[in-house]
Amino acid sequence: MSNLKVKSIARISLIRTLIFSALILLVGLQFDAYNQAQLAVVLILFIGVLSITLLTGISGQLSLGQGALMAVGGYSTALLMINYKLSLWVAIPLSIISSAIAGLLLGVAAARLRGPYLAGTTLVIALAIPTIANRFMSVFKGDEGLQVDVGYPPQWFSTFFGEPTYEQWQLYVALPFAAVALFFASNILLSRTGRMWRSIRDNESAASLAGVNFARQKIYVFIISSTFAGLSGALYGLRGLVGPSVYPVSLSLLLLTAAVLGGIRSIAGAFIGTVIVVFLPDWIELILGNFELSEQVSNYLPALISSLLLILTVVINPAGVAGVKLHKHK
Amino acid sequence: MNTFLAALSLGASRGATFALVALGLVIVWRGAGIVNFAQMGQAMFSTYIASTLITNGYSYWIAFFAALLSGAVLGALLDIFIMRPLSNKKQSELLSSESMRSAVPVIASLGILGALQALAGIIWAAEERGFPAPAKQEGFTVAGNVLPFTSFDVFVVSIVTVALILTTLFFTKTGIGLAMRATALNQEVAKLSGIRTNRTRTISWAISGAASSLAGLLITPTSNLSPNTLDLVLIVGFTAAVVGGLDSPAGAVLGGVILGMVISFVTFYDTPEDVFLAILAVLLLVLIIRPRGILGSKDARRV
Amino acid sequence: MLKIENLVTRFGSVVAIDGISMQAQESKITTVIGANGAGKSTLLRTISSLEHPSSGSITWKGQSIIGKRPEDIVRLGIAHVPEGHAVISELSVEENISMGSLFRRRKFKSDITTAIDEMYALFPRLKERRKQLAGTLSGGERQMLAISRALVSRPQLLLLDEPSLGLAPLVVEQIIDSVNILCRSTGLSVLLVEQNANTALGVADHGVLLALGKVVADRPASELKADAKLRAAYLGY
Repeated sequence: MSNLKVKSIARISLIRTLIFSALILLVGLQFDAYNQAQLAVVLILFIGVLSITLLTGISGQLSLGQGALMAVGGYSTALLMINYKLSLWVAIPLSIISSAIAGLLLGVAAARLRGPYLAGTTLVIALAIPTIANRFMSVFKGDEGLQVDVGYPPQWFSTFFGEPTYEQWQLYVALPFAAVALFFASNILLSRTGRMWRSIRDNESAASLAGVNFARQKIYVFIISSTFAGLSGALYGLRGLVGPSVYPVSLSLLLLTAAVLGGIRSIAGAFIGTVIVVFLPDWIELILGNFELSEQVSNYLPALISSLLLILTVVINPAGVAGVKLHKHK
Repeated sequence: MNTFLAALSLGASRGATFALVALGLVIVWRGAGIVNFAQMGQAMFSTYIASTLITNGYSYWIAFFAALLSGAVLGALLDIFIMRPLSNKKQSELLSSESMRSAVPVIASLGILGALQALAGIIWAAEERGFPAPAKQEGFTVAGNVLPFTSFDVFVVSIVTVALILTTLFFTKTGIGLAMRATALNQEVAKLSGIRTNRTRTISWAISGAASSLAGLLITPTSNLSPNTLDLVLIVGFTAAVVGGLDSPAGAVLGGVILGMVISFVTFYDTPEDVFLAILAVLLLVLIIRPRGILGSKDARRV
Repeated sequence: MLKIENLVTRFGSVVAIDGISMQAQESKITTVIGANGAGKSTLLRTISSLEHPSSGSITWKGQSIIGKRPEDIVRLGIAHVPEGHAVISELSVEENISMGSLFRRRKFKSDITTAIDEMYALFPRLKERRKQLAGTLSGGERQMLAISRALVSRPQLLLLDEPSLGLAPLVVEQIIDSVNILCRSTGLSVLLVEQNANTALGVADHGVLLALGKVVADRPASELKADAKLRAAYLGY
């Protein structure tokens, strides 16, 4: 696939995106309201997981602070919508710029850091969000956070497609963004740039011998990955609240879990992983619903199972669900 | 003046525990090339075991040593059942790249952290509980003045000092200690010398587990115990280890003390709310000025 | 004593050793010579299990040792001094030496001090520097230290990889002499890998010439040394 021309790469990505969007609509409209909202969450977090697929799976840098970048996207969108009364369709693209800038800063730092240093530092940054939100109380409103939501569809939409329910509208808002993210991710993965990033991941010294300025490339990866995370965070906040409790460290770990479970190197894997982590609590309740479980157990069971799945994946089949085939061939 | 002394004593006592946490991280990093993000999860787990024993009427000291032992056993088990199989998988395609070899164990350790926290939540419920201190937490009184120095501070500083001396003696004076240092420095030469490197790695995990459990026992009396209490301690310990040099045990102690002082002085002279930003600032400062840490060796930043 | 048959070792698609058969005889010095990239080091690394062969057999005293761990190979009496003065720079000279005897410390406690003293007798310069860090030693001293580290495990077979690498001729001579004396006086068997064929063939009983992972010649060392044609073709002088 590495010799594809730019035009055919774009065509493949476009076809993937269209099929994906059609399937989501087809399946999503069959769902009940609760599951439609859940599917919207899948689409939103899928974008965030893609940011990890690009950063860790493709270029080999491990960040535990994607939640922080999501928060940048979320807060920017909320502030633009509240303070400047912008519509989300304007606020989100603008907030992507701010997360790209945050990604640039992080990338400059990351280019100097390797492996566990990067992981630890980004973890510290993710943990700093509540502190920052409280420190600049007047802007970020501390632990209370900022209230925003997707609002209601414009008049023309309702005229053409009929009045959607709130959950359907959540799905309709998330889908185009997820589709755009998928299109770009697919393009990057298939392109020369993607190949260059993989060469950085596989062998830094060899890549630099081949003339790849890997410090600069690492920064590019960080910026692009951050725009994905920022977009995901903006949409995630639009479910009702932008605040420290919406972007906890566990969110960063949830995204990482999704990326690894599904297969950290593939877009399909990112989607499969996201579906697993989002629906896991529901599935557990479905299976164990007949047992009388104490609240204590049912609260922690999803986290326990997803953590165990993460460990098992890493130990038994690090390539994840989507990587099973790839694993056997080698 | 009194504030200064108070800050100093809190800094010493906190610094001592952070030194332990950092030392635990350094031992596993040197022994296995992994930064173990699950470390304070392990400590939390064994502190809960101690807490349960105390609630059931056992003495503090029985619970104390049971926690150290369970910390060591848990560390060893994690290495044997998770990390060792992982390092034997290096032939697999995903792990064939330099960067993924360092990323995947970190991911595994995060999985362990998540699992331990969830398990503790299921077994011991989520609400915070207190944890006793074996010594008074009120300041000494001299001539009617309450000094900012408590018996518990004395206890913490002295027990950590003893632990550090024992660890140093273990590493420098015993055969296993030499085997562990050799494994950490050059695995191939260690293997060719007949050292069972798998075993020394497991011992690193056990010692690190015991050290961080000790830290857990010493921190929880002042912070209460819940599945997530020790998350921040890990971050401070990580920063301390990076400040001192991730591959230097002496650096870990130094870094721990520095962080203890920074946190304490920010708490007393500024506001406790800025503590986290101070930690972040120290971490970024060290990474910019001297990424290998104060006492770290040049090639410490191996992948 | 050590018997290798049809051994093949690959690194991905590169075949480093391509069907080697040879032997190391008891109480003799066998040398493996050949140009850079002939597969000499890989051969030693495969014997001590640092690399895994894809086919073929290695038998030691009649038993296969393939698939064992490097640390167990040492226990069977095969000690390996890898290429490049492999010592641990951050440890002291004494620690480096005693490292090699750690695994024997339970069963042969009293013998360990004796073994370490023997090394100091063999290389007196190490005794003078016993408290120094190995990183502060000269190249020759480091090589002596690496050999000592291997010898304190009381091996029956010593695998010695390019001891002359980067050392002055005089130092090389001293080291090779020491090994030679040790072999003759204690009955130690040696498998010596060298690029410096003259030196190696000078002390060895038997010589094996490798080229591109294959055995080209397997003869008594004196014959190999005398064969100008072979030397010109494979070693370039």
